Amino acid sequence: MRYGTTIMDDIGNEHPRRNLRLAERGALEERLESEPKEKAAQIKGELKSLPRKEHDYEKKFAKVRAEEKAFLAKASERKTTFEGSLADSDPTIRKWKLEAMESRARAEFYAPHADLSYDFELLAEQHRMIAEQLPAIADTRRETLDALDAAKADLEAAKKEDHSQANADFRRLRKERLKQRGEEKAALRKLYKSGQISSKAYVNEKHQKDLAAAEDIRSMKQSLKINMLADRVRYLKHRLKQDKKQGIAVLNSDISDLRRKTPIEVTKRCPWISYLTFPLPGLGQLLLGQTFKSIFFFIGSLYIYLIAIPYALGRGNYRGQGLFGLVSLAEGASRLDRSVIFMIEGVIAIILLLIAFLIYYNSFRDVNRNEKKMISGIRLNNWFETKTAAKHKGFPYFASSPSALVTLFIVLLPIAVTVLISFTNYDPTHQSKFNWIGLANYKQIILGQGIAGGPFWLITGWTLIWTLFATSLAIFVGFVLALLVNQDRVYGKRFFRTIYLLPWAVPAFITIMFFSIMFSPNGPLTALLQQLTGQVINIKESPWGTRIVLILLQGWLGSSYVFLLCTGILQSIPKDLYEAANIDGATGFQQTRHITIPILLFQTAPLMIGQYTFNFNNFSIIYLFNGGGPFEPSKYGNLAGSSDLLISYIYKLTIQKQFQGIGAAITMIVSLVLIFFTWIGFSRSKSFREEKL
Amino acid sequence: MKVQLVNIGKKYEGRENFTIRHIDLDIDDKDFCVILGPSGCGKSTLLRMIAGLTSITEGDLLFGGKRMNSVEPKDRDIAMVFQSYALYPHMTVYENMAFSLKMRKERKSVIHDRVLEAAELLQIKEYLYSKPSEISGGQRQRVALGRAMVRKAGVFLMDEPLSNLDAKLREHMRIELVRLHKSLDTTSIYVTHDQTEAMTMATKIVLLDKGKIQQVGPPTLFYEKPANLFVAGFIGSPTMNIFQGEIKDGLFHSTEEDFVVEPKAEDLALLKPFEGKKVAMGIRSERFIAGLADKNTVHVKVDVIEMLGKEQLLYCKFPNGKECVISEPGYFEYAVDEEHNFHFDVDGLHFFDAETTERIN
Amino acid sequence: MSKNKEKGLYLSDRPPLTPVKAVLLTISYILLFFYVFIIVWPLAQIVFSSFNGNQGEYIHVGGAYQFSLKHFKYLFQETYFLNWVINTIVIAVATALLTLLFVSFTGYAYSRYRFKGRKASLMAIMLIQTIPAFVGIAAYYTMHSIISAVIPGFTRQMFLILIYAGGGIAGNTFILKGYIDSISSELDDAARIDGCGNLQVYRLIIMPIVRPMLAIIALWSFIGPFLDYLMPSILLSDPKQYTLATGLYTLITDVRNMHQPVFAAGGLLTAIPIIILFIALQKQLVSGLASGAVKG
Repeated sequence: MRYGTTIMDDIGNEHPRRNLRLAERGALEERLESEPKEKAAQIKGELKSLPRKEHDYEKKFAKVRAEEKAFLAKASERKTTFEGSLADSDPTIRKWKLEAMESRARAEFYAPHADLSYDFELLAEQHRMIAEQLPAIADTRRETLDALDAAKADLEAAKKEDHSQANADFRRLRKERLKQRGEEKAALRKLYKSGQISSKAYVNEKHQKDLAAAEDIRSMKQSLKINMLADRVRYLKHRLKQDKKQGIAVLNSDISDLRRKTPIEVTKRCPWISYLTFPLPGLGQLLLGQTFKSIFFFIGSLYIYLIAIPYALGRGNYRGQGLFGLVSLAEGASRLDRSVIFMIEGVIAIILLLIAFLIYYNSFRDVNRNEKKMISGIRLNNWFETKTAAKHKGFPYFASSPSALVTLFIVLLPIAVTVLISFTNYDPTHQSKFNWIGLANYKQIILGQGIAGGPFWLITGWTLIWTLFATSLAIFVGFVLALLVNQDRVYGKRFFRTIYLLPWAVPAFITIMFFSIMFSPNGPLTALLQQLTGQVINIKESPWGTRIVLILLQGWLGSSYVFLLCTGILQSIPKDLYEAANIDGATGFQQTRHITIPILLFQTAPLMIGQYTFNFNNFSIIYLFNGGGPFEPSKYGNLAGSSDLLISYIYKLTIQKQFQGIGAAITMIVSLVLIFFTWIGFSRSKSFREEKL
Repeated sequence: MKVQLVNIGKKYEGRENFTIRHIDLDIDDKDFCVILGPSGCGKSTLLRMIAGLTSITEGDLLFGGKRMNSVEPKDRDIAMVFQSYALYPHMTVYENMAFSLKMRKERKSVIHDRVLEAAELLQIKEYLYSKPSEISGGQRQRVALGRAMVRKAGVFLMDEPLSNLDAKLREHMRIELVRLHKSLDTTSIYVTHDQTEAMTMATKIVLLDKGKIQQVGPPTLFYEKPANLFVAGFIGSPTMNIFQGEIKDGLFHSTEEDFVVEPKAEDLALLKPFEGKKVAMGIRSERFIAGLADKNTVHVKVDVIEMLGKEQLLYCKFPNGKECVISEPGYFEYAVDEEHNFHFDVDGLHFFDAETTERIN
Repeated sequence: MSKNKEKGLYLSDRPPLTPVKAVLLTISYILLFFYVFIIVWPLAQIVFSSFNGNQGEYIHVGGAYQFSLKHFKYLFQETYFLNWVINTIVIAVATALLTLLFVSFTGYAYSRYRFKGRKASLMAIMLIQTIPAFVGIAAYYTMHSIISAVIPGFTRQMFLILIYAGGGIAGNTFILKGYIDSISSELDDAARIDGCGNLQVYRLIIMPIVRPMLAIIALWSFIGPFLDYLMPSILLSDPKQYTLATGLYTLITDVRNMHQPVFAAGGLLTAIPIIILFIALQKQLVSGLASGAVKG
């Protein structure tokens, strides 16, 4: 980067350079670019011969710096002289006044040198502001303090007075007000009883009367002398605090505005600090003078070097070896060291490293950007500005970081582990130690090979049949019930609605388990079936028997929810639609067909799709009803039963039969398909398209 | 309180250009200043900068001589009424009005007194303990005003406060707002896109377009001496008639050469430098005089008549299809498709430089 | 004014009933009552069998009936039923509170602030909420042993709470964000002028307004642990730590504990409060489900 003859401030205004040495260099460099090549050598020569330290400007500048040093050294001397002239009893006011005096002295010192450097100009202006504003803030404080003292004295004096009369007056007034409220309420009751206002209005009005009376009484109580004085003391104390905070904030923000408008000149022209310091977040900020900010990044450094990196290298692990554990998977380690632990710790190490990388990146970017800003002439934020910016821009990050962490570790970590497990031979013979086997699990599943992969396609087939029939049945039943109940002429709507809600309201696991009992070999429903047909039908022993009962049962369970949804929508269909249809001569049946059903279908469609995915994953009903059975070893092998869905099969493989590798692979396939379908449904939904994200 | 804007500009983060820039404006104490402009002109941005809801990118904002750029909204001594009223739906009217004072830890007796005082003035005492959802739109509007009033702020900001009311109520509230402004003794800044509101309420109008101030001044100035073609077209209903043309030998020739106008002497002097250049001439509908004159006459055919009672608007067409609006007293008899002669009132002519669109006379 | 009057007027407004319509109406009633029977019969059996003292370990329908509370007695004295109830309630309450805490912050931040990474993380949230909860089952058990090694007091139940709450963050953030989006941001501005800071705007203004939605989110987070069998069955191994779903299941599968009428009694006690909750809050619950439609 070249120097150039001008610099830019934060707002984008150009300023001439005040460092004459740099300005000369800048001018020459500009010529080098603009003028023909023949002159390049000559200009380069001039550039080389330009004085550095010996430059007149540098000499002058060094002189002022020396004077400044001497001036600042006398600060404590000045302080003692100033202190003598201060008489205020309040330490804060004394501090401010002292600061103001010192600032006045500094402003006077820097002002003559403002032309020499923007730094001096800034210092002069900044101290002028402090000298101007602090005394005013101090004066306001003095006034408030005086008022506070007076108020406190008044309060003390009032406390000694006799308040019995005032208290009695208050009690009398309160009694009167309460009586008045009673009368008002009585009048209201009369209105209500005579039917002139509705019960809702009555309750509402009554409540308002209560509020009004309470507010009036509160203000009566407040206007008692002693309460008023106490309130005044409280208020003034608050004012005192508020004024201080506000006054200093205004001063600080005025200074920060000044910093935005006053450029800075630096001699360096390459953001080397950011490149050199990136391994230690915080150092760069410190070198650039942003001390407080650097503390935060140093905490980040501590995290990186004390937690993330050691963990990734295997230190402080529960049993694993950090990142290396992902490669070794505990091979050759002791019996207790299970591969899966090594895998999980490996993933944790990756997450910790990712966070570390995020800190590195942000720190580097922060320093780099700030250095570039400085080179172009923009002053960096001081602590006050950083704090304000963090308060406004940092809030969403602070607010969502706990959630992000929890999601990272509780949701994403297990998902990542499952993905990894699907590429291993984690099965009953490799429970403690397993190895990477690439895509072998997926191959087994797709080709339907092996004990675990064998029944995959059979189960998939039944899962699809189940999803389609069980959900459609529930939707159909719920739909029809909603249409029937919501006919104009049907009485007892509330009764039907309450009853039809029950299958949804009773926890599903209870009903499922109860039906399971009733269909057991000596259960009541089995007995009933025997009576009806004359044969012994053992539902739980018959694959298709179990399947059909499951579908019917889900129809029973799921119809409630569909019924409720449809009822809600039916009630919200505007009546004038039907009236218009009536006038057009549509019969009741036609109205249902052409108005009601299309509206219902249209509005419930996304929710109904949700029902299909719900049933696709409906673990409880399958597992709790018959444990996925009955078993048909000839078709399904030993691991699955004939009513198992993919989800319950995954559960059995992973939790019971210890075929975690294959289980994970099936999980992956199922999840990807599900994500794909929900995503399609989702991206078509209105909320997604209208969301401007 | 006097409000000064010195070279104010706003550039939103992530945008290339300034939304609004180089705004210089002095609003005197107790002024009723209306910031007027079409939607998207930056008027709301300007108001939000004054309120402190949007940061100021460059320039200085001064309240009574004090710089306010980075003072928090709550400490700026302002009160604001929003377009949607922004009443807190979960609080009663009383609590809504008391909220800001409560946040300031104001004395309870003071809060009570001020709320009652405002309620009295705005005639909403009956609804003090109702929720905003239980009262009508007009009442909500009053509550919003009351909430702003109790702060006893030096500057009263209003962001299109009447746009959610029906026409009748709006007319009524316009008068009330002016009355309120007078009784409050504050500086009011009012943002709207409705020129009627601006013309009727303001002591000072600021017309904004494309992030720039087009004209500042009292309402009459806008009507009588619009500073440029935009102002001329924006202010006044019906819109001012604008004819494009050229100055030749001290006469205005319309582009189609269908009429020639001889401006009055003072205008002529100012038009001298534009000899041979393109110029736009504007005339308000009421400055046409019916009948033939020896010069400055146009011959048009009446296309549509809008009868307003005391006056009627004639939408006329020139033989070449060019349109103009003429208003004449209601008792004159005109019929559609009739052809008539009108001549220009030379005192009511406005001339604009066609290139810069700035006013000439 | 009164309701009766309105109804009377409405009745007389209807066209007269034709014979065809009368037949259709009768069929409707028959169907409706038939379905009432289908719903009520099994549920009634739960109630009857829980009070029928004339049963041993198996449920008998029909036959002799003798009212008795012995199954309830057994439930409280011989099983860990009370433990299960307490466990479930603790887990449910903690899940609801934790979810509210997480989601209030994220929902507000995503709705009201434009920050870097917002778009990307919103997309991530949408993707995450489509991933089914069972994906992680292979890792949970081992994860718990790792965490409890680092934090000694970290029980399996706590982990369960974290899984429930953490799993709900994504979807619920989205729901709450949508709801807060519908509140005019002028309210925030007004509050800021009135003197509120970031958190005060949420606490004093936004939160009271979104309370209905927060209630729905809390309610669903609360009910979730009552209904779930999968997660506790994976994580919890000690019958004392079980939740209701896993606990009651032991009464019908485990040969040693097998006691079907006691299960009916426990089921009845569990179901009643939840039924009351569902009937009382059906509107809110349905609307909550509808707004979280994408969750399925």
